[in-house]
Amino acid sequence: MADLGLAPFQILAAFLFASGVACFVTKRNAIGLLMGVELVLNAANLNLVAAARFVPGLRIEGQAFAVMVIVLAAAEAAVALAIFLNFYNNHASVDADAADDLKG
Amino acid sequence: MFNPFDFAAHPGRAYLVATLLPLLPVLLLLIAATIRNIARSRSGADSTASRIYWLFGGDQPLKTGGYLSLACLLGSFALSVWGLVHFFEESHVLRDKPAELTERWGERGDWLRIGSAKGERSAAALQVGYRIDQLTALMFAMVTGIGSLIFLFSLGYMNDEAQDRVADHVAHTERRGRFGRFYLYLSLFAFSMLNLLVADNLFQVFIGWELVGACSFFLIGFYTERKSASTAANKAFLMNRVGDAGMLVGIAIAFAAFGTLNFQDLAAKFDAGRPEAISHSLWILMGLGLFLGCVGKSAQVPLQTWLPDAMEGPTPVSALIHAATMVAAGVYLVGRCYPLFAPEVFLTIAYCGLITLVISATIALVMTDIKRVLAFSTCSQLGFMMLALGVGAWTAGLLHLLTHAFFKALLFLGAGSTIHGCHHEQDLRKMGGLRRKMPITAYTMLVGVLAISGTPFFSGWYSKDQILSGALGYSLTDNRHGLLFFGALLTAGLTAFYMFRLWFLAFAGEPRDRHVYDHAHESPPTMIVPLLLLAICAIGIAWGWPLWNAEASFLGHKLHEGEPAIRGTQFAQARHLAEEHHMLAGGLALLAAVLGAGYAWTCYGKQAPTAEQLKEPAGFVAEKWRFDALYDFVFLRGTLLLAKLSAKADRSAPEHPRRFTLDGAMSGLATLAEVGGRGFRTTQTGRVRQYVLVLALTLIGMLGMLGIFGR
Repeated sequence: MADLGLAPFQILAAFLFASGVACFVTKRNAIGLLMGVELVLNAANLNLVAAARFVPGLRIEGQAFAVMVIVLAAAEAAVALAIFLNFYNNHASVDADAADDLKG
Repeated sequence: MFNPFDFAAHPGRAYLVATLLPLLPVLLLLIAATIRNIARSRSGADSTASRIYWLFGGDQPLKTGGYLSLACLLGSFALSVWGLVHFFEESHVLRDKPAELTERWGERGDWLRIGSAKGERSAAALQVGYRIDQLTALMFAMVTGIGSLIFLFSLGYMNDEAQDRVADHVAHTERRGRFGRFYLYLSLFAFSMLNLLVADNLFQVFIGWELVGACSFFLIGFYTERKSASTAANKAFLMNRVGDAGMLVGIAIAFAAFGTLNFQDLAAKFDAGRPEAISHSLWILMGLGLFLGCVGKSAQVPLQTWLPDAMEGPTPVSALIHAATMVAAGVYLVGRCYPLFAPEVFLTIAYCGLITLVISATIALVMTDIKRVLAFSTCSQLGFMMLALGVGAWTAGLLHLLTHAFFKALLFLGAGSTIHGCHHEQDLRKMGGLRRKMPITAYTMLVGVLAISGTPFFSGWYSKDQILSGALGYSLTDNRHGLLFFGALLTAGLTAFYMFRLWFLAFAGEPRDRHVYDHAHESPPTMIVPLLLLAICAIGIAWGWPLWNAEASFLGHKLHEGEPAIRGTQFAQARHLAEEHHMLAGGLALLAAVLGAGYAWTCYGKQAPTAEQLKEPAGFVAEKWRFDALYDFVFLRGTLLLAKLSAKADRSAPEHPRRFTLDGAMSGLATLAEVGGRGFRTTQTGRVRQYVLVLALTLIGMLGMLGIFGR
């Protein structure tokens, strides 16, 4: 494990990030969007944890930020789900493309 | 750690402290004024506020601010005298090691770096710093010395402002006293002027330059209720802006060509004539630009019209700013930038000085307001200094700057004392015989008159004599410029005439207006003491041994040590001839002065002036050569005409579409914004997924650009 180096983790994280963005862009279902966001956040987390392991100066910082991101993700999921519930109450659908009431 | 009081290693820091010292009363007065105003506005309802207001003197402004400012400026003066003594000592000891002298008496550092250090050209930086040399040391002592005396004088002169209600007889209103505000402006001015003097680069000089301009604006318009005062303040400010625009051009050219604004660095580039980095026409433009700034500040033709109007300010202000120090800044800067000027620029300076000195002297002949005579005389004397600098007589011009500061401050304070004693009567025609009522003012002023006329053994003689011999030397090298000498000689005579006319009209003969005479009184000691001290300086400041040799002036010799080496032998022949024909020039100048003074005596001294001589002056000269009318016609009327035409075009054009008029242009801008907004609106689809896609693509694009160009 120690001789693996930072690069494979970063490649994996990049792949995760790209998957998340792709999911976000293609899904119309609001719950699907939320999953895409989760993937993006976990890609960032993987990066942070890998950096904490392999970069000497980030030993503590990487882990601390990873914990912070997890908390952030939980809060974000709570708020987003609340928004979607309200949206469903008003529009009887969770189609993100239907949410264009504020377009110019 | 930067220790400003480390005088042993860096004696120049004494000047730094001395420069910042006047800023202390400015800050304290500002804070005190704020507290006082808040307390005043709440004093009705809140008892603590009333108590604080009472602590600050209640409705009556406290004079503490004045004493504090005076104390701080006296501190600066003491430091500058200490610095002066030590500097001349060290400049003597270290005269073979100029680098060490510069190191001990000057420091500088980058303030703002422009551009990165990448590539071949090293990063340019705006620097701040100070450097003391002979000129700075002497000017600094002069400004703080005269400034202290004028601060002291103002304690008496501005006494009215320390009342709770002040009646303004010109504007016919009543207002609260503004004692603190006056000293706030004066102290701010002192700081700005000193900053300008210690600065070692053009950028910092420019900051000081603008600050003194602003202070001048505040102080000319000190009696804001008077329409004439606020107009005069605006005029001074605008006229100076014209000059400053030129100065900015000069500074920009210097910075673009050399990447530095430091005086020493710039001068070093010009050691061997014009450097490669600058073309000849740009070199001339740079010099003319810098000189235009000096023209504005030193009230030379064609930007001279503001100075006489600046006399609307309180008289101590006229003495400090518009006679002794600020207007001298232009001459000082010409002296500072001496190595940077092209030969053509020197010629421009000389002729500009000549035109100014002749025109202003002729106007001073007919003015009847005591302060205006002195104002035009100031213009004329500044012209003398510019002329001297233009013909290569650096020492003579700046020596005249120093001596003139003393006797002109004396004359203005004398005029202030006279005006104060006559209850704000400024018209010479209503005075007369005042020497019996205010002997000290009269005779100290006579000293000033003798000094400015160039009477032997008075300070003005030493400098004026050198200027005239410099002009004569230059005229002899090139006969085409003979006018430079004869114009100056003629004006030396005119100077004696108008100054003696002023003295005879005010102090000699019989009183012409009983009312003014009966109520006239001598001024209080706070005003008399500065007059006496200045009179002593006006006599002896330029003395040397032997006394009867105008070239032996001690002050002149000290100043001469600081003279910049002029490229090549530009003025060598003129200087040689000036020394050779020194006696001739001096003799002619004396003759002209005696003739002028004698003629004044026959007109105004021997017998009482006739009604013909006292009637309201009129005609071309009395209207100041119609410069004001010309500017009014060309600039003011021109602008108004353009505005009227454009308004007419707007009205006559059809409502829609209104093209090719001013209104049309403005509407066009509005239409552009509207159409643009409508276009961009369509991109706002409201689809979150689309936004994210654009975001992701932008990120990829930017990363790609970083990969391609970021190497």
